[in-house]
Amino acid sequence: MRILFFAHLKKAAGCASAEIHFSGEIDAEMLWQRLLSDYPDLAQYRASVRFARNNTYAITGTRFSDTDEVALIPPVSGG
Amino acid sequence: MIIEISIGSDFINTRKPLPKSLIGNTGAVVEFTGIVRGKESGLPISALVYEAYQPMAEQTMRTIIEELGQRHACHFVHVIHQIGTVPVGEAAVYIVAGATHRAAALGMVGDFMDRLKQDVPIWKTGALDTSGHPLPTTP
Repeated sequence: MRILFFAHLKKAAGCASAEIHFSGEIDAEMLWQRLLSDYPDLAQYRASVRFARNNTYAITGTRFSDTDEVALIPPVSGG
Repeated sequence: MIIEISIGSDFINTRKPLPKSLIGNTGAVVEFTGIVRGKESGLPISALVYEAYQPMAEQTMRTIIEELGQRHACHFVHVIHQIGTVPVGEAAVYIVAGATHRAAALGMVGDFMDRLKQDVPIWKTGALDTSGHPLPTTP
């Protein structure tokens, strides 16, 4: 799975993107646990961050697979 | 409905004329331009810096416009959003919508800007002070 970080999350993660690998499918909670294990500084932003799976916002019940591209979307501020 | 979306730098001056195929049907064209102000968090600035998750931003904008089109029947919508460094006084975002009557075009533009600020993955990631140096940022 390719993980993308944007805005201030890049600094928290120390990178703009990362690869993680797992078998089967995982839910958002499992994905967070994996990310916080690798990037503990993300914890302070968790409440305000949305996942996007393959360019679409994840919703309750979304499952993630190893071939997905997942972006961590902090509060947006365009315009 | 014709939808055109451009995200990048140097796009803001590429405003397009009313498509010829829509002349005769379009009675109202509404434009909105969002301009970079000279202050950010109370401090004078010379520019803002924008970042986008471009593929998702374009897809999300298109989805929003299609959804809004159910309520605000427009013939065309064109959106441009700058990324990178945008100086004070220049446009960060531009939208034009055309419809048979003004209510639909006004509704499209106003509602789109609300949704842009809620859901489109574009961020102001920094600002430059009046000497062109980065200002400290807080998320």
